[in-house]
Amino acid sequence: MVALDKSEVREGVDRETIETVKAMSGTYKYGWNTEIETEYAPKGVNEDIVRLISEKNGEPEWMTDWRLKAFRRWEQMEEPKWAMLNYPKIDYQDQYYYAKPKSMAEKPKSLDDVDPALLATYEKLGIPLKEQMILAGVEGAAETPAEGRRVAVDAVFDSVSVGTTFKEELKKAGVIFMSISEAIREHPELVKKYLGSVVPQSDNFFATLNSAVFSDGSFVYIPPGVRCPMELSTYFRINAENTGQFERTLIIADKGSYVSYLEGCTAPKRDVAQLHAAVVEIVILEDAEVKYSTVQNWFPGDAEGKGGIYNFVTKRADCREARAKVMWTQVETGSAITWKYPSCLLRGDDSQGEFYSIAIANNMQQADTGTKMTHLGKNTRSRIVSKGISAGKAQNTYRGLVSVHPKATGARNYTQCDSLLIGDKCGAHTVPYIEVKNNSSRVEHEATTSKVDDDQLFYCRSRGMDEEEAVALVVNGFCKEVLQALPMEFAMEAQSLVAISLEGSVG
Amino acid sequence: MLEIKNLHVKLEEEDKVILKGVNLTVETGKVHAIMGPNGSGKSTLSYVLSGRDGYEVTDGSAVMDGEELLEMEPEERAAAGLFLAFQYPVEIPGVGNMTFLRTAVNAQRKARGEEEMSAGEFLKFVREKAKALKIDAEMLKRPVNVGFSGGEKKRNEILQMAVLEPKMCILDETDSGLDVDAMKLVADGVNALRSEGRSFLVITHYQRLLDHIVPDVVHIMADGRIVKTGGPELALEVEKNGYADLLAEVM
Amino acid sequence: MALAQAKRAATEARLEGLSLPASGAWLAQARGAALARLSEMGLPGRRDEYWRWTDPTTLAAAEAPAAALFDDGGERPAFDKIDRVTLVFVDGVFDAAASDDPAAAEVEITRLAEAGAQDIHWAKDLYGALEARGQAPVARPFAALNTAIATDGVLIRATGKAAKPVSLVYRHASETSDAILHHCVKLEEGAELTLLESGPGAARFSTVLEVEVGDGAAFHHIRTQGRDHERRVAAHLFARLGAESRFKTFTLTANGVLTRNETVVELTGDDSVAHIAGAAMGDGGFHHDDTVFITHDAERCESRQVFKKVLMNGAEGIFQGKILVKPGAQKTDGYQISQSLLLDERSQFLAKPELEIYADDVQCSHGSTSGAIDETALYYLRSRGVPERAAQALLVQAFLAQTIEEIEDEALSEDIRTRLEAWLARRLG
Repeated sequence: MVALDKSEVREGVDRETIETVKAMSGTYKYGWNTEIETEYAPKGVNEDIVRLISEKNGEPEWMTDWRLKAFRRWEQMEEPKWAMLNYPKIDYQDQYYYAKPKSMAEKPKSLDDVDPALLATYEKLGIPLKEQMILAGVEGAAETPAEGRRVAVDAVFDSVSVGTTFKEELKKAGVIFMSISEAIREHPELVKKYLGSVVPQSDNFFATLNSAVFSDGSFVYIPPGVRCPMELSTYFRINAENTGQFERTLIIADKGSYVSYLEGCTAPKRDVAQLHAAVVEIVILEDAEVKYSTVQNWFPGDAEGKGGIYNFVTKRADCREARAKVMWTQVETGSAITWKYPSCLLRGDDSQGEFYSIAIANNMQQADTGTKMTHLGKNTRSRIVSKGISAGKAQNTYRGLVSVHPKATGARNYTQCDSLLIGDKCGAHTVPYIEVKNNSSRVEHEATTSKVDDDQLFYCRSRGMDEEEAVALVVNGFCKEVLQALPMEFAMEAQSLVAISLEGSVG
Repeated sequence: MLEIKNLHVKLEEEDKVILKGVNLTVETGKVHAIMGPNGSGKSTLSYVLSGRDGYEVTDGSAVMDGEELLEMEPEERAAAGLFLAFQYPVEIPGVGNMTFLRTAVNAQRKARGEEEMSAGEFLKFVREKAKALKIDAEMLKRPVNVGFSGGEKKRNEILQMAVLEPKMCILDETDSGLDVDAMKLVADGVNALRSEGRSFLVITHYQRLLDHIVPDVVHIMADGRIVKTGGPELALEVEKNGYADLLAEVM
Repeated sequence: MALAQAKRAATEARLEGLSLPASGAWLAQARGAALARLSEMGLPGRRDEYWRWTDPTTLAAAEAPAAALFDDGGERPAFDKIDRVTLVFVDGVFDAAASDDPAAAEVEITRLAEAGAQDIHWAKDLYGALEARGQAPVARPFAALNTAIATDGVLIRATGKAAKPVSLVYRHASETSDAILHHCVKLEEGAELTLLESGPGAARFSTVLEVEVGDGAAFHHIRTQGRDHERRVAAHLFARLGAESRFKTFTLTANGVLTRNETVVELTGDDSVAHIAGAAMGDGGFHHDDTVFITHDAERCESRQVFKKVLMNGAEGIFQGKILVKPGAQKTDGYQISQSLLLDERSQFLAKPELEIYADDVQCSHGSTSGAIDETALYYLRSRGVPERAAQALLVQAFLAQTIEEIEDEALSEDIRTRLEAWLARRLG
């Protein structure tokens, strides 16, 4: 029966989708806000704030200097304007750059000592109790094995990693999975070697800001030849008001290793827009493979466009050596503004990059997202499958670059960008750049834009489904290729999110 | 079961009147056939009854078991027990056939206040129905109608009918595009569903389908009206002499 | 926003010593407005996004780089078998002796150089008007420059169906010539016209063609851009389409060190149709850029962009094509294909096929491919006895065929096909 359920999810939409839609009654599921006492740094950003963040994390001097270098660079930079995004000017001095739940100051002895609000947060996020204890930092909790779900979780609450589960078991396999602030202290040689090696400090305005002020994030190292025994997962949650969140994730897959990494994001409903600028760097060495899946469900703002997260994210994987492989899968349903281009540097010969994306923009949301595939090595392969859905008054743009360098002989790329429009007040845009600089490479790009097919909707309705169910079903079918690329853990959630995100788009 | 009175329909976007006063009563448990030349309004009748956009009802009514169909949304008609087997079944890429069926069944059950079926129960239920129609498990996994042959699409329609268990079934040119063997398979499927509580309205251009699905009553439709009604022999008469003679006689 | 210092300096340098050609009031006004537009936007530089892949430096430079005259070895001129009214420009100067009598045409033709003096000329409302509309959302500074300082050109007005094409022939006679021509074509309701353009024009050649296609009118445009290896071209075509009108343009480019063809089409009347096609063959120092911007601003319109490039010995092909569907332009059918065939390792294809869509009931798609010749097909042909180079030529022809099919007139498509075959025979035969 288990096997059967699996195959059915892979078919496309599941009954659960519909059930979840009903259960969630069409509102943003994660829109609660946890009442937790929070310790803030003063508003604004300057060298003192950068030093404070570094000090709070107990960082060595080299790290402080690294941040300061980035900050000085950032002060010289201008916010990029090329994306098809329209938002009020961000006052970078009117944000908090550091917020930490006070209860984390001292480790609690048991669950009873944990701030109940924090526990409630995890429960709402669907994290099992055992893991809740570990995340809440209960002493000794990490030693006793958890039953059931086998996903190691690192939770980042506002700017701070609040705990990582399954640490011991992962350690046995040689896998390092911890917050990046711990890694800076415990594995400085790895961090020094790889931090900023994929996304340089000066890469772009948002990445440079992140380099200066990131407070925490996750760190993963998979040693040579190791297949990570479980999925690794990070939950990011913004809770504190007016707080920018700047996580930094660094993943290193050493030769011949494998890891699947999941990232989930939520934020409470706020009237005021909140800033989020994360950086994810992935280094993949010879014959190693990394799968990175994201379900991004930051608060998108209300139907009038009030509030929501401004999401400016730099994600890049460096297939540094031969036969390295990376697969990005993203389901982007949240955020008021999305600026995000998970990219692949295909440097090793025969390396491979894949990008599977669903971007849904409803109401007043604006998304400008896509990928860059840079083919540098011989016989490198890339594949892009992007499904954009626009509804309400939203604007949704696919922006991508496929670049095949002269020396990347025998490279292959296939790109498929499909856009679906629901209603006549929204927009769907496709902006691909294609650069082919040798002739043994083959690059193919296809894109379509159309509206939800009336015949399909009528067919579904004539079989008894109401209009929203019909739309959810057809849209999930439209996204199927991408949903299939997600790990099982996420596939269900993603399907229901697709349905929820489109609530109110028909009728 | 179904009572259509004085039904007048025009195209929504054009001044083209298609149905000009259709009167028709299908009794519970009976099989009625509508025959007629191309353009007589047969398919329009099936679309209007199932609630497709693009048509405007200017007069008349269609009542099923005491409920006015024409005021309902398509899904409400389905939940009330109406089923249209499409002449051209729609392809829905990415949506598994099984998923589609289960979503439809549960939506209807829910609308009727019935318990939803569990995944296990449902699978067993569908597999049995599919077996009778020679639909293999592979076809259930594929996306709805995508890449199906003409025969497979029509069998899939009958499978949906079997699974959804409607009380009023409309078959719109179900024989079109089928060879004799495929038609027989489809007809066997339909015949297996004939029961005391279920009525059928079989729309067809040719008599040949009616050799396999033998109707109780045959209507001839022309220029948006039912122009003649009789027993199965009427179909044979059309087969023998064509529509022209018949129409010349009545009009 | 103020222009960057470098840009302003470059623009001023280009304009220095130039004066607006003397002309009557309405023309002088149009030129002045264009100059104002230009000084606001400035000439493009290497860092402009719209010039990402094509270096505008030599087009913007105050002095045109010299271009050697090309000996075509007595090749038969384009369209020589077509019954047409020919108007010849040598290095941008009208050559009356070499031309047919414009009065022989079934349309009204005035030279731009003479039109300025006519106070109420119909072109008053067209000259520079479509160019100005085409400056948003993307600036096209060379077109504004052209409007400001073009010395000559033709103004054509068609009121009925012209059977005979008007053929503009551009000869290149001086190695340092720098020519700027500006043409306007107005098709009144229901009118039909075929316009032919051929020849390299000058060492550096700028053309602007503004075409107003009235309701129910049809405009066909076929252009071959001359084979002088060292010539540089910036050609702009602006068109506005009325209801139920048809617009078809095809360009054949072989050789030329730099070609930038911008085509800007606005479908403003319901049920109109625009097809833009181009075939380019480049060998060696060849840089060819097709930049197309189609705006759908009416219902049930159809647009097609079909561009193919065959590139060898380091030639570079660029395609920037955009379909913009404005709110309310329902039932739009937009399609775009850009493909390149790279015949050796050093050639490059760079493409940006864009869609920007604000109406939901549309069918828009684009495809873009780049790659080498199909080895299997090549092998198949050779196994049937076709020599390798001939087989290559055959496959290249097949690759380009889709663009030539866009030419409706049989005799014209045959003319183009023959020229293409001759080029292939020289390169691959």
